[in-house]
Parts: sequence; C-alpha cells; structure tokens
Amino acid sequence: MKSIANRTWFALVLACVLLFGVLTFVIRYFMFADRWVSFTGSPHVYTNGRLDTGEIVDRSGEVLYSADSKQPYSDSTKIRKATLHLLGDRAGNIPPRLLRAYASKLFGYDKLNGTAAMETDGAELKLTVSAQAQAVALQAMNGRKGAVGVYNYRTGEILCALSSPSFDPLDPPNVEKENTDGRWDGVYIYRFFHATYTPGSIFKLTTLAAALDNDPGLADETFVCEGVRIVNGERITCPKAHGEQTLKEALAHSCNCAFAEITLRTGKSALNGQAEATRLTQSIEIDGINTRQGHFDLSGAEDNDLAWAGIGQYTDLINPCQYMVWMGAIGGGGVAAEPYLVESTRCGGRQTYAVDREETPRMVSAETAEKLKTLMRYNVKEMYGSVDIPGVEVCAKSGTAEVGTDNNTATFAGFIADEKYPLAFIVVVEEGGAGSSTCAPIARTVLEACINVLDGER
Amino acid sequence: MELLLDFFRGPDGVTLLSVYHAVLRLSLPTLALLIVIRSARSLLGFRREPEVWAWLRLATGELLPVTHWENLLGRKKSADIVLDFATVSKNHAVLTKLDDGGWTVTDIGAKGRVEVNGNQVLSGRVNYGDTLSLGGLEMVLEPVSQEEARLQADSRTKAGKGNSPGLTLVLLTVFQLLVVLELAFNREGDRVTIMTAYGILIGVQWLMFIAQKIIKRSGFEIETIAFFLISIDLGVCASANVGEMYKQLIAMGVGIVIFLVLGFCLRDLDRAKKLRYLAAAVGILLFLANIVLGRNINGSRNWIYLGGFSFQPSELVKICFILAGASTMDRIVTRRNMWGFVLYTAFIGGCLVYLNDFGAAAIFFVGFLAIALLRSSSYPSAVLILVGVGMLAVLVAAAALAIKHFPHVANRFSGYGHIWEDSFNKGYQQTRSLMCIAAGGLFGLGLGNGWMHYMAGVGASDTDLVFAYVSEEWGLLMAIMMIFALAMLGLFVVRSAKVARSSFYTIGASAAMSILIVQAILNVFGTVDFLPLTGVTFPFVSNGGSSMMSCWGLLAFIKACDTRQNASFAVRLTEKGGART
Repeated sequence: MKSIANRTWFALVLACVLLFGVLTFVIRYFMFADRWVSFTGSPHVYTNGRLDTGEIVDRSGEVLYSADSKQPYSDSTKIRKATLHLLGDRAGNIPPRLLRAYASKLFGYDKLNGTAAMETDGAELKLTVSAQAQAVALQAMNGRKGAVGVYNYRTGEILCALSSPSFDPLDPPNVEKENTDGRWDGVYIYRFFHATYTPGSIFKLTTLAAALDNDPGLADETFVCEGVRIVNGERITCPKAHGEQTLKEALAHSCNCAFAEITLRTGKSALNGQAEATRLTQSIEIDGINTRQGHFDLSGAEDNDLAWAGIGQYTDLINPCQYMVWMGAIGGGGVAAEPYLVESTRCGGRQTYAVDREETPRMVSAETAEKLKTLMRYNVKEMYGSVDIPGVEVCAKSGTAEVGTDNNTATFAGFIADEKYPLAFIVVVEEGGAGSSTCAPIARTVLEACINVLDGER
Repeated sequence: MELLLDFFRGPDGVTLLSVYHAVLRLSLPTLALLIVIRSARSLLGFRREPEVWAWLRLATGELLPVTHWENLLGRKKSADIVLDFATVSKNHAVLTKLDDGGWTVTDIGAKGRVEVNGNQVLSGRVNYGDTLSLGGLEMVLEPVSQEEARLQADSRTKAGKGNSPGLTLVLLTVFQLLVVLELAFNREGDRVTIMTAYGILIGVQWLMFIAQKIIKRSGFEIETIAFFLISIDLGVCASANVGEMYKQLIAMGVGIVIFLVLGFCLRDLDRAKKLRYLAAAVGILLFLANIVLGRNINGSRNWIYLGGFSFQPSELVKICFILAGASTMDRIVTRRNMWGFVLYTAFIGGCLVYLNDFGAAAIFFVGFLAIALLRSSSYPSAVLILVGVGMLAVLVAAAALAIKHFPHVANRFSGYGHIWEDSFNKGYQQTRSLMCIAAGGLFGLGLGNGWMHYMAGVGASDTDLVFAYVSEEWGLLMAIMMIFALAMLGLFVVRSAKVARSSFYTIGASAAMSILIVQAILNVFGTVDFLPLTGVTFPFVSNGGSSMMSCWGLLAFIKACDTRQNASFAVRLTEKGGART
C-alpha cells in the first residue's frame, strides 16, 4: 500500500499545475487587466463600437475626438485628416493605439473594483501634438508619401508626428478599388513610427559622430575628392570632383568619396557602437506605440559595403522617429528628452495620469555633439538657405537615398539650436527626388508653424 | 482612500443601496474564504492515524500491526510490513483482508516459499491463529479484539474535531442567503424561482448532513465543498438563464443518488469488485448508444436525447471507467487484468475521437495515466509508459487530423495564443472572457450585473467560460476560491492515501480527483488562453446536468478514501470490521 500511496503524486502534480496556472493568471491580471478591459469591443467600456472615453484634445485644447457627440471626430476636415493616424479610423484598419494605452485611465478603471466604480464624466486625454502643425505638415506633403516629425528635445513633447498620405475618417476611400495608381499604398501604416527608410546622406551624421569620437583630430584634416573613388574594386562616386575640402566642406558637399574614406578609417566596431548608441536597431515605446526597429548590419560587409553603409546606403534602414530623437540628442549636447505623445489624462474631475519626463541615454559625447552642431549649422548657411529661418539657428543635413532608379527617398533631418525653440525634426518623402530641394521647404513650413505654436503658449 | 470610496460607489454615487451592495460584495468572498479555510483545516490538518486490522506475532514475541486491507510483506523499506530478514524477499507476499473477516496470503514471486501452517501456498486463506511462514520466517496472525477495536475507534481523532463541519455548513448557509439577497435585488422578476431553488439547495444539504449525523458520520467537508460550488453554479444559472436552476437541481438530485449508492457500494470491497464488470459493461453500452443516437451540438456528437432531456454519455462513463480501472493490490502485484483495462481505455478513447470530443478524450487520458501509474506496482513500467505514450501519439495524431478536417475544432485551435489578433472572430470567446474578468475586478460587478450572460447560449459562457462568468459577477477572488476548493480536495486525496484501507480506494480517489482537476485545468486555462478552448466543464460550477451527475459520482470515490474516524458514510466503521466474531 505504501508504494501505491507514494504514487498519488500524480494528482498532486495536477493540483500544483492548476494552482500555478491560477497564480500566473493572477499576476497577468495585475499586469494587463487595464489593457483587456479597454481593448476594442470590450463590452463594459464600448457602446455601439465606440469607446466611452470622453475627449481627446491637442496641446492647445482643440478637441480632436469626443465620444459623447454623434460624430466623434473634429468638425474640420483638415484636422481629421491630419490626426487620423493618432486617433485611428472607424473600420479598425488604423488601430487607436493611444486610446487603447490610456483608456483605463480615462474611465477610472481600477483593478480592485473593476468597472464597478467607472465614470466617464469629464474624461480627457491631452496630447502634446499640435493639430494645426500637423495640418500644415500634411498640406506641405501635398499627397506625397512619407513622414514629418517635430519634437521638443528638452521636454520630449512631440508636436508633430505626421504620416502621409492620410484620409478623412468620415469619408474613407475604398482603398482596394482606388489604389490602381498605388497612391494609397501603406495608408494604414503610421509611417512616422512604423516605417523604415534607407537614410541616404543624413546617415553621414551618424558616421561622423563615430569618426569624431574615434579621432578628434579629424575636424582639422582635409580631404581630396576626384569625383570617384575605387574601394575594393567598386566605384564610389560624387556628382562632381569636389577637390580639396575641409571636413565641414566635405559634409556640406555631402562628398561620398570623403565619407568613404572616413568610414573606412573609423571601422566597423565604432560604427556599430554609434548605431547602437543612437538606438538605431531598437524599438522604443512611446505611449503604447512601439517604433519599428531600423537595420544596421555590417557582419560580412566588405570594404566597399562598409563604405556605402557609412554613406547611408547598403542595407541601412532608419525609423523616422528614432532618427529625429538622435537629432535631438545632437542639439541637446549628447542627450535628449525621451519623446512622448500624452501629456495627461483626467477623469471624474481628477488627474489620473501625468507624464513622467525622462532623458535618453547618452548618444554622443558633448564635445562631438558641439562639433556636429557647428558642422550642421554651416551646412544650412552654405547649402540650405531655404530652411534658414531668421532669428533662430537651424542645423540640418539632407539625404537622397537611392532605393532603385528614379525612386529616391528624400530625407532631411536636424534641429534648432535655440533654448527658446529646442525642436528636433525629420522629413522623409518617398520618391521625393533630391533631399534638400524636396524636404527643406516642408521642414521650414512645419518648423515655423511649431515656432508659432510655442510663441502662442508664452 | 479613493479606492475605498470607489468600492462603495454605485451608479448614483454613494447611496444606501450602493453601500448595501458593497457590503454584500465584500461578505461573499470573505465567507467563501472562511468555508474553504475551515474545510482545508479539517481535510488537510487531520492526523494520519492508522487503523489496525490484525496483528502478526513473530517468534520473538514482537507484535506487528496490520494497518491496511492489503499489505505488502517484504524486506524492502517501502513494504507495509517490513520483515528485515535475509531469507525474506524484498517483495514477498501480499496479505489481503476478505469481507467476511478472514484473510488470504498471496505469493508474489518471492524466492523463498510462502507457507500456511507448514503447507506451501501460492494464494491461500489464513485464519486467525494460523502460522504464516515467509522464507522460513514464522509469524502468527492474531485478531484485533472487540475491546481493542473499540479502544482504537475511541482513541482515533474524530473527523471534523476542532473544525465542526456543522458550523462550516452554517457559514455556507449564510453565504447562500446573502446570494439570494443580492440576486433578489438584481433579478427582481425571478425572485420566486431564485428563492425556491436556493431553498431546495439549503434543504437538501442540511438533510444530508443530518442523515449522516444519524448514522454517526461527522465528516461533511467534501459535501460542503460540493454544495459551495453548486451555490455558485445556481447563481450563474439565475443570471444566465433562470429556468436552468431547476434543471441543475434535478441533476444534483440524481447526482446525489449516484453518490450515495456508489458510496454505499464502495464500503465493501467484494461488492465493489463485482460492480466493476457491470460498470465496464454500462460504459460500453453508453458509448454505443452515443454513437447510434448521437446528435451534433457545437460540432461534437457526444450528446443524446431521451424524453426531452439531453445528456452527454461520456460524463457518466467517467464513473464506470474508474470503477473498471480500480484494482486491489493482490491483483496488481500478480500482474493480472491490466491489458483488459488498457483495451477498455483504448475503446473509450477511440469512441471519443470518433465522436470528435477531444476535451473528453484528454480527460480520460489523464484518468488512464493516474490509474496506470498506481497499478504499475511491480509491473514493468516500460510497458505502461509505452502504452501511455502510444495513446498520446494517437490522440495527437487524431487531433491533428481533426484540426484539418473538422472546422469547429480547427477554429478553436487556430485562435489559440492569438486571441487578440482576431478578437471578433476566433478569439471572441476568450477575449470577451478576459475583458469581463478585468471588468469584474476582485469583488465582481454583482450577481446578475455582468455582460457574460449575453453569450450564455452559443457562446457557452455559463459552461465553457464559467471561470470568466464567475470572475465578472462574483469577482476574481471568488473564482480563485472555487479553484482553491478543488485543489484542496486533491491534496486531501493525496494525504489520505497513506492510511487508505485498500488500493482500490486509493486508485479510485486518485483517478477521480485527477479527472476533476484536469477538467478545471482545461476549463480555466482554456478560458484565459493558456490552452486551446476545449469546451470542458468546471466541476459542479459549469451549467450542465450530465456534468453535475458525474461530478457527484466521482465525489463518491473521494468519500470512500476518507478513513478519518467516523468521517464517511462510504467507509464502514472499524468496530465491526476488525473483530473476529
């Protein structure tokens, strides 16, 4: 009997599995219950397919979404289009990620009482974006595909996080039928957070950061460009021979030959280190939105590949939001504020959430950041006069990423070196031609709009 | 502070009514906790005092107690009666008590001989006063006198001492009355039905309690747990479909009859062993009837209709299956009859796969493992492992086939692990469950106040998703409590195995418990997406008549292994059994 009794452990194991499973579930409950209860279609907080969440307002208090009114979106078509990707569409093709992340805060859910004590009176979700700036950005994009981002690198507030093209959520296009010319390609994707692009020459800033950290004396050297440079049998070309140039001239000319040389001298490990420091291949979470990881992989790269990688070609891919934060870090002397979209939530007359501002890890040394700033400022003065807003110091770099014939991605990224307007920005236009001529005017328009917004708040 | 205030808040702020509901919301889990804790202290805290059925007197004068109905005699430490002599084999013989008060001894392949009064036997009767010789070691079998038996019965701790089951039942009754009070507010139109149904429940449980008191049995914890779970079941019915309350009560009545009859039969082993063949036959008949008469409900054909009632034969077969699988130790160690049981299991498994009921197939498989493990005593374990693995392989292959060919199975499995990605279709049941569990909080929204009842019919929220149903309306604490209650029964079975009278009871109780727990595992884990949703019921709580009956039947096996003094009606008192007349 003893030996038989000893084998009843089987029932004991089953009981333990049951108890362990329940324990696991209880832990999950305390971790995720607020997400479950606010998920799309949750019967306790959704009425007729709409979340009972009160209002979503932008930084100036403009109502973007109101669950209480018949038609929840803004009355302005321009605003509806400009904020579509932030709020989500009705069909659920673009999920309402911000709402989902903060819904439980909006209707006063707590894990102890469940929805028993729920109230939605006076619920408000306040965003950091400016709907006006987004509208200006969407107009400037003029139907082209891409993304525009602006954020305050001192506080972290995202003023503009635009994805283009967009549509009116009250009058959605029949994408499947109307997309014969490809104009709706990827319209449901929030490009600013969820797309990655070949960066082109804006990546030279990353390369340069690694190079300057590696060899501070580089800033005083000169580089000779004969228009073409052979690396490992492959031709790396410039539009013309730039001749002998200082480093700042080489950057202003965006000289591929010079940067091939700089890249090869800097080497893989320093480049990898810099890519990691700028979180190029990481996903960062911004209020429930996870940015798409970029790509930077030099394993198995020959010298010619390495040279192209340093110029922002090869297999390099960046995410616009991630690269914007990196620009902010240069402007901020090596570190930037972590970006965020939600300022606060209120419910039933009390604040249920307020942002807790954070700083990014150091992305580059203060000295190198200062040097990069000087170089980028020179760039604007010499090359991109169109973006040189009077009264503030705009620092920037453009890029024209070759992703196939006649299919260039135009990129433009930088920041304003001014404590009154500490704004970092990025503009990406798919099939946009040359970076500076396409993107610089967009950047200027949007930056001016943001400066107006900040001035208005003072 | 705000959280506390929120606790008392109702739709119109903090009012008298909202405070009343808040107090109820707090009282129910508190009472449930008390009921579970009191039962646990009684069931898990009892001292395991052996019962002495006879004595073996060695030539040295040393008296060895015989503490089971079946005892392994041998040299090894895990023998029930350890005879540490060189001439005795590790496993030498089994000494088995007969219902008539006599004993038999069985040689289990020992090197040395087994002799009774000098005559070698392979299996033979031993009377009190006879000399038993194992490998030359002589001992005399002596009876326990009536005086000794009475003394022993008096000195053993009475069941429920210190944790009066009567008081626990009073607590349960208060619990039930509070449930009625809350439901009376939230389901005003159904007040009469609700009060009548709970009235019947309370009446039945006290009737059973008193009847057992009359026959001097004081252990009522196991039944109390069942009635506690049924109280929740009735509350779910009242919320989901009030008409089902009476149906559940009728099923409970039938279940209790099965429980009592089976429990009574299990008192005596000879009777129980005879029942095995009948049970095996009934099991086969039930399945054959199922295959012939089966109707398709939700994709499975495991339902039959008789006179307006529908039931699932596979539920009742569980009882037959355990009866057929349980066995006494003399048979276990002489390696008889195992293949019969393997074939029987294979037949059941085959039927279930044919009927497309994989949840039930998994349950029977676990039941088989539990039984096979206990029966594998000195049997080459490899064979059993092979059989087990073989069955698992067949099950997996069949499941894979079914996923390919039967749409409803495929749907259930394809949503698994990705419920949020398809929350309006394949993940509908589980995502709604999690949403509602979250909405309920720890204390629930109040009985009848939930949303789950909207999917009680097709969505099976009152059966397959009952964990979520209870969480939403009664609170997560209550849902956890019903799991604790069940797990506690499991621990009790394991604990009491050491003092079991016969391996028949240990096997029966262990298998019954394994089946009940695995049902809870499949039910709860399926609901919360830890496992694919298989549509298995939670014991006693899920709304379902056949399930209710089968759970009571399984409970009889657990009742039969409760050897605490004066605990169980399914266990004969020692005073009569031990003495020679």
